[in-house]
Formats: sequence, structure tokens, C-alpha cells
Amino acid sequence: MPSDLNWTERLLYRLITAPSGVAEGLAQEKSLATGGLADVIAGDERLSAEERVDIYANMYFYRLLEVLKEDFPATLATLGDARFHNLITGYLIEYPPRHFSISDTGARLADFIANHPMREQFPHLADLARMERALIEVFHAADATPLDSEAMRAIPPLEWPALKLRRHPATMILELQWDVGTIFEALKRSEELRAPAEQPTHMLVWRHRSQVFYRAIDSSERDLLEVLARGCTFAELCGLIASTAKEDAAVEINARLEMWLRDRVLVAAPSSTPLF
Amino acid sequence: MKRAAFPFLGFGVGLRRDHYLHILEKHPRVDWFEILSENFMVAGGRPLEVLDAVRARYPVVMHGVSMSLGSTDPLRRDYLRELKALARRCDPAWISDHLCWTGVGGRNLHDLLPLPYMPEVVRHVVARIREAQDFLERPLLIENVSSYMAFRDSSMTEWEFLTQIAERADCGILLDINNIFVSAFNHRFDARVYIDAIPRERVIQFHLAGHSDHGTYLLDTHDHPVRDEVWDLYAHAVRRFGAISTLIEWDDNIPEFDVLMETGEKARAIHSRVQTETDAVRSELD
Repeated sequence: MPSDLNWTERLLYRLITAPSGVAEGLAQEKSLATGGLADVIAGDERLSAEERVDIYANMYFYRLLEVLKEDFPATLATLGDARFHNLITGYLIEYPPRHFSISDTGARLADFIANHPMREQFPHLADLARMERALIEVFHAADATPLDSEAMRAIPPLEWPALKLRRHPATMILELQWDVGTIFEALKRSEELRAPAEQPTHMLVWRHRSQVFYRAIDSSERDLLEVLARGCTFAELCGLIASTAKEDAAVEINARLEMWLRDRVLVAAPSSTPLF
Repeated sequence: MKRAAFPFLGFGVGLRRDHYLHILEKHPRVDWFEILSENFMVAGGRPLEVLDAVRARYPVVMHGVSMSLGSTDPLRRDYLRELKALARRCDPAWISDHLCWTGVGGRNLHDLLPLPYMPEVVRHVVARIREAQDFLERPLLIENVSSYMAFRDSSMTEWEFLTQIAERADCGILLDINNIFVSAFNHRFDARVYIDAIPRERVIQFHLAGHSDHGTYLLDTHDHPVRDEVWDLYAHAVRRFGAISTLIEWDDNIPEFDVLMETGEKARAIHSRVQTETDAVRSELD
């Protein structure tokens, strides 16, 4: 590895990502000789060395800003352009992209917001960003053939107790403090955005036929879906539902199963395949 | 690397999300598609479903932006593994990436940055291309990037740098005609001299795209129609290299699919015209 090349790449990285621009970055740069950046980059009467690096610095920031605007439309609509711009400036300093895919850039935005002063004015913002990121991750999550009611009916009832079930890989459960679903609904209807109510919610996010859906679930459904994430048999699942059923266990088992089969959040493994 | 091992695919366009529905429903008469590899390096969902459907009808080529062949960081094995898995899935006619670096110190700029054109950098990049080719078990194509800065340490021209690397790494070249035009303006060299210096047997694919004019420099934005001067340069390249698979890139302000089709047809018409001229000259000589 040429050591000079490593030095040059690190210098350019520092300048391109300098929080206040290339000029500020250069002012703090101690590794350059007296000739400055012009010793490294050739400038001319059209563009100086600094202006040439500045082209890359602008592209770096604005490319990532555009990606994040697209990935977090509700967060952007809540904050407005200027505040979103400032938020992302800080975010990219604390969480510079490391992954080879640019779509990973927003993976830590919710964590960053959770500790950002903006949470004082927008306490629901981290939940909103967490929800937007979940929609992306579920959209790109692994495929598996979901179990639907037709497939379930095709399995002989005698085999149901031993049937191995698990949660579909394109599902996610979020623990939210705010009812941010109202913001998505308002955006869909092009209505004015209002701060959502504080309302601790377990939110199930899932994908079916390339579309991502979400709904609030109660804590007993959350617990059952967490067990299903690890995998269990149909008989074990029925036992768990019955143990917490408030009224008729059979009715509750039927209702839960019907909903999961409708939403297609379950996967069945062939009985010959060890699943867990 | 044997040029004959790479088929002439004709005139293709970049597969972009805006056009998924149109392509899946209308099955437009495009010769082939180029995918941005990283957009499909996901676990599942819509992108891979679309890719499978497109691949069932069209030849596909994989074009990456994140191999970072010029970086001084080690090549990322996780990246290469995912790239290889995607290649197994879609069986591309070939895989390409850029002659550039995209990050250092484990951080990614998500941009295509130029390198100093020097012998030690040639050796560095050649070793990395060979490593990637060994891992992927197939030859790579490397693409010339648009650039806005040049290094004082450079001791050769960009076309000498590209040629030396392609020959020593035994890889192919994806020659981006628009990038040559943009860099020729930004660094004041003659684009035709560049094209004339590239070895014929190494060029497997052309890229054509639009750029934006910022007065003191040109920016490779892929958001405009191909400029007339770039079409002229393309005709010059077709005269030199012959039948080369040509791809229309459009990544921003993406127009209706028909506009991309028309641009592809324009490239086809230029190719046919040049071919006719060349045949006429040959028959006169005979």
C-alpha cells in the first residue's frame, strides 16, 4: 500500500467532510507543507485547488442529504428544510457513512435524534425516524413464503399440533412512546401535521407483496410474536394463547390466527425440516 | 481476458426504480439493462423481485460504485461476498466498477474520487483488481470517472494510467464517453487523444450520459440529455472501437422511459451510420 496515497486519501477525506467546509478544514490542517493544498492538488485560473476539493465536499453533503430526505419524508415534513438540513449536518459528523450501500446512511438517525436538543421541541421525532427506518428495513428484508389461510387449510388438521411456525423475516416490532401513525396518516391526506399524542405503542411492521404495512398491537400479541420470532409449534402457540386468554381460549386462538394469516406474518416450515 | 468472451449486447439503459412498473408491464424493446449492483445487494423484497422478472426477459450487466479499487483500505470481503451472491442470482454478462477510491479509514464518501496517476498507484490498483477478479472468478471492467481535481504527483496522463492498469490487471474497460468529455474540459486535454490512446481489445462497454455546465467546470450529473459534443465523441469512439455495447445512464430528473429508448436508438443510429461509412471506405480500398 503506497503510504503517500494513504496520506493523500486521508487528507482529502478530512477536507471533504470538514463540518464547516474545506476552507475551515484547511485552516486546521497540520499535515500540509508551506505550499498548502496547492502542493497536492493542481489549481488553475479557473478553479483553485481549494475550490476543486470544495466541489467534492458539496457533492458529499448534498448527495447524502437527498438520500435522507427521501428515506425520512415524515421527519423532513415535521422539521422543515432548514432544521432538517442542520440535523443532518450534525448527524453526518457523529455517524459518517461506513457501509458500502448509501441506503444504510440513515440507519442511526433515530439514535442520533434521541440525544439531540431538537427532542425538546419535537419529543416524538426519534420515534418518527425509527418508524421511517423500519419501513425501509422491512421493505428490503429477506423473502419467505408466508402462510395464508389457504395454505393452512391444505395442511391436514392432524398435523397442525406439530406444525412448526415462525415469524416472517420481513416483520419488525417497534416500541414507540408516541402515536406517530397519525403523522403518516396526515401526510397521506396532505393535512397539516400536528404533534402526536404520547401513547406507548407496540407497532408491528410487515411486508406483503412488496408493500409495507403497520398496526399497533397489544402487549400479549407482542409477546406471542416475539416467541414466534424464535419459532414454536402450533400446539405450543395455542398453549401460550390459552394461558393468557381473558375469555374463551378457542375463540382467541382463532382470532389471532385469522389475523396473522390475513396479514401474512407467519411462515410454516415443512415437518421434515428442523427449524429450531 | 479475451474480448470475444464478452458478447455485444447492443443498446441498453440503466434499470431505475422510476421505470420498474413500465418495464414489467410493457416489456419495452430494449436490448439489455444495467443494474446498480448496490441497489440489489439486499436480503429480499421488491428490488430482487423486479430484478428476477427483468432478468427473465433481458440480458443484465452489474455496475458497482463501492468496490473502491483505489482505496488504501483493504478490499471489503463482505462487499465482494454479497456482490458474488448477486452475480450468482442474476448471471450478468459482466461486472464493472470504477477506477477510483470511495473512502478510507473504514468510512465511505459515496463518491468516485480520482487517484494520482503514478507507477506505485498503478501497482496498488492492479493488485486489488486481481484480488477482486480472483474472488469473483471472472474478469472485471473498470470505468474512467469524471474528475474535478488532479494531483501534482501525477507523472502520466489519465489514459496512460487507465491503459497500464487494464493491461497489467488483464481486465476490461468500460469507457464512459461523457466522463472523458467532462474531464477533458475540467483538465484541458483533448478528448479524442484520450480515446485514440485506449487499446481497442480492452474496451467492452460504453456509457453515455448528460452533465451540467457550471461555467468554470462541468459536473457529471446524469440529469440532462446527452450533449451534441458528446454524441460527436461517441461517433469518434465507435469509429475506433467498432461494435461496443452501449448504455444510456440517467439518474436524476429521470424522464419517461420512452426518452431513454429514443436516446438508445440515437446511439444505435450513430453506430449504424459509422459502420456504413467504415464499410464504404473498406470497399473502396478493396
